[in-house]
Amino acid sequence: MSAPPPMIEVDALTKRRAGRPVLDAVTLSGAAAGVTVLIGPSGSGKSTLLRCLNGLETFEGGSVTIAGHRLTAGSQGTAALDALRRDVGMVFQQFNLFPHLSVLDNVMLAPRVVVQLPVEEARTRALDLLDRVGLSAFVAARPATLSGGQQQRVAIARALAMRPRVMLFDEPTSALDPSMTAEVLDVIVDLARAGQTMVVVTHDHAFAKRAATWVVELTAGRVARQGPAEALLR
Amino acid sequence: MTGRGAVIATLACLVTLAALRAAAAELEEIRTRGELVWAADQEGGGPHVFPDPAEPRRLTGFEVEFADLLAAELGVKARFQQGQWDRLPLLLDQTADCVINGIELTPERRRDYGCSRPYFGYALQMVGRRSDPPAALADLAEAGPRGAWRVGVLTGSAAELEMRARAARGEAQLEVIGYDGTLDSMEQVRGGVLDAAVLDDCIVAFYADRFAGLRNVDRPFAGGFYTVLTSHRTPRLTAAIDEAIGRLVADGRLKALYDRWDLAGRQQMLMLRDAAEIPVARRRTLGELVRQTLPLLLSSAGMTVLLSCVAFPLAVAVGLAVAIGRLHGPAWLRPLLTGYVEVLRGTPLMLQLYAIFFLLPKIGLALPALAAAIIGLALNYSAYESEIYRAGLKAVPLGQFEAAVSLGLTKWQALRHVLVPQAVRIVMPPVTSDFIALFKDTSVCSAITVIELTKRYSVLALSTGRIVELAVVTAVLYLCMSWPLALLSRWFESRLDRPAESEP
Repeated sequence: MSAPPPMIEVDALTKRRAGRPVLDAVTLSGAAAGVTVLIGPSGSGKSTLLRCLNGLETFEGGSVTIAGHRLTAGSQGTAALDALRRDVGMVFQQFNLFPHLSVLDNVMLAPRVVVQLPVEEARTRALDLLDRVGLSAFVAARPATLSGGQQQRVAIARALAMRPRVMLFDEPTSALDPSMTAEVLDVIVDLARAGQTMVVVTHDHAFAKRAATWVVELTAGRVARQGPAEALLR
Repeated sequence: MTGRGAVIATLACLVTLAALRAAAAELEEIRTRGELVWAADQEGGGPHVFPDPAEPRRLTGFEVEFADLLAAELGVKARFQQGQWDRLPLLLDQTADCVINGIELTPERRRDYGCSRPYFGYALQMVGRRSDPPAALADLAEAGPRGAWRVGVLTGSAAELEMRARAARGEAQLEVIGYDGTLDSMEQVRGGVLDAAVLDDCIVAFYADRFAGLRNVDRPFAGGFYTVLTSHRTPRLTAAIDEAIGRLVADGRLKALYDRWDLAGRQQMLMLRDAAEIPVARRRTLGELVRQTLPLLLSSAGMTVLLSCVAFPLAVAVGLAVAIGRLHGPAWLRPLLTGYVEVLRGTPLMLQLYAIFFLLPKIGLALPALAAAIIGLALNYSAYESEIYRAGLKAVPLGQFEAAVSLGLTKWQALRHVLVPQAVRIVMPPVTSDFIALFKDTSVCSAITVIELTKRYSVLALSTGRIVELAVVTAVLYLCMSWPLALLSRWFESRLDRPAESEP
């Protein structure tokens, strides 16, 4: 019986900045499916590792396999990257919503432009997702009029609209007041329970305990520890 | 009077004195000063006033020598002052004492300025290409092979008045095109843009060798005389110039001068002897003035709007493409686009218009003036717009681009749907202000015969002498056009007042 290819595999990933390694032969062994949480002190390379996973950063050594796409050292072909990113969604610390578009249009943009979904279909999909993140009442609003927590939930819906096989979260709650953290984490936990494969960079141990299946701890660009959540986060 | 009052009064006197000194001086003042300031346009060319080919810093021409003789008769030295030909009379209110530059003696000029007795007789000469029609003046009565005959003249000259009058009377099927430079029209005939040009016969004769491919069409016609133009405020200067010309004619020095310049001195003297008195034109009422000039001013205002509204969208489109190319295009393209921007920003719009209109025909690409004007304005402004858009695109946070490509958008889709729409919003205020700048820059197009409102005002103001009244009418027309622009920019600003950036 042959196992399906792993959803996420990172092999000896090495990235340097100004000659110094930011990621030093990082290998993720068991981050197959489920919720992989990257933890570690600031500057340990968590966000850089995450950004390598969808090609926002290039790297000098090793390889990444994600959602059936493979990235190797050096710059990638644009077509291959575009294809990878269609299957891998990303949520940023600073939300990065498109300020010139309404909430609904933020969510509809990629399905319309990238996979040319008919407008009605894209709208239905976007409305479903906005309902799922509890923002049905704000579809016509401009992002700037929403709270930080609401904006981050729009960003999640926007990434989900492409039905990604893997979701990447880059410190999704660090820019939020504590009062808004919960509403975003609840959405992510719900997603995890629904079986969404995801990689989450976070400082939030409570969240890690709640949702993680696999935990990777980075220190100074190296994997300090990694293993099943129940073993590592006691 | 308090001390402060005295200071203010003194200052006021000084300002007044300075203002008086600035205008054309009366005879006594010129003698005290020891200089007669005479204005002419050296661009007008030979044989009147032009840079000496052997020593370009020195001016030469029969009028240079005439001015020297005249000044010597007044007991002073002559000092040249450069001005644009059709605006030379305005210099009489500034620093020039007189204008000596082929200024034709007309009833209107006698009404509006001091005019000396004639010092030179001219006639108009039509020139065309050697092998092409028209072959005679009479041919102009019927349309030519390409429709109305395209005939070039010097703006504001007697040739322009004469040809426009013939067209208006229906005696000739003409499209009369005014040029700022004397030789521009002959160049355009040679280049095939015009069918013919009409100039003073002495100019045609002087440049006959340079324009060997052209021929005189028919004999000279519609003659007249040149006058030394002075201000109405300096009657004693005008009288002294009259007497001086009388002496120069009587003792043969003027004849000798014209003979030196191959200008048929004896014939000139006979013409001057028999010159009839030119009548003084009647002053038009304000109602007549407005009725006669408003249609022309309105159509020129329409030209201003047309130029701005066609050229600017083109400039924005090209500018945006250049900005995107410089930021995101292939590596080989970027230095080319940088060069494009620097060349167009670093050279005057006037020069670019000249190149498009006068130089392209030399490589077989003759553009109509309107097209040349629109292309010139659009290219010139595209360089500025591209810099604005480049700044605008760079002002969009990097996270926007990352978010877009992380969703699977290609680089170009991210530009099209995410970066450019935001950059457009960011740059709206400077772009709007550039539109207003272009709106005003359209006046430069008069250099290539496109007559817009400013040029039309200047031509009409000088030909009618009603500088102030027409300025008011013109200003009102400009306001009627710029007011909607101001409203538009305010509307854009109010749209931009909404926060565009999300606050975490």
